[in-house]
Amino acid sequence: MPMPPVTEPMTVPGPGVRQDTRSDDRLAPTYYVICWNDPINLMTYVTHVFMKIFGWERQKAEKHMMEVHEKGKSVLAREGAEKAEFYVHRLQSYKLQATMEPAQ
Amino acid sequence: MKLVKQTKIGFQYRLIPEEAYSLRFIVQQFPVTEFSAAKISKTDLASVEREKLLNEALAAHREELKLRARNLIRSDRFRPSGKDQLYHLSPEGRESMLQILNDVRVECWRMLGEPDNPDLNVFDLPPEKVKHCHLMHLAGYFEHHFLDLEKP
Repeated sequence: MPMPPVTEPMTVPGPGVRQDTRSDDRLAPTYYVICWNDPINLMTYVTHVFMKIFGWERQKAEKHMMEVHEKGKSVLAREGAEKAEFYVHRLQSYKLQATMEPAQ
Repeated sequence: MKLVKQTKIGFQYRLIPEEAYSLRFIVQQFPVTEFSAAKISKTDLASVEREKLLNEALAAHREELKLRARNLIRSDRFRPSGKDQLYHLSPEGRESMLQILNDVRVECWRMLGEPDNPDLNVFDLPPEKVKHCHLMHLAGYFEHHFLDLEKP
């Protein structure tokens, strides 16, 4: 005996249930994590800290360190508020001059 | 100061007696200054709450480093080897040591008025600032060696 056709149950999202938050992500404010130059932190130390915090290879960490040294600052990351805050906390715990600035 | 051994579990350094004494002395000086508040942003004026959290976290971190500092100069970390001392650090201990040395260096530099060129001549300084100048240079000496002696 042929089985009656079975239809897949359909789940309809209720009101207020978000299926896609991509548009919200685009609207969320982002911040630049910036490291500023100072005359006291050793260049090798700055490189070490970048490698430690961001998990970068030495070459990338040195590139940003040189940018700090020669241009006065380097943008290390562009992140949402929470992650940017996390990076600034870590960088400042190593005594580097780091801030988060709203990305335009 | 020489790196004798580097493994996954730690580092062993050979220090001459003057270096062993100086390293202990610097770490004992930490923290050189009272905690001072930091800025989280140069342009975002609406970040008061964030700045408060940052400063709470930094103050707590400093307290934690104070405890670690005592541990880093425990006498059993130093072992005599002829006239020298063998000094052992775990990877985490080395990381704390770098933070402590750099904190001492940066805070001494601040006490000296944040000069653009930190290579100051002690003879040009008033007597009350000489200690900070020596400490800043000594901390830099060890910081440089701990970083430079690491094998990739």
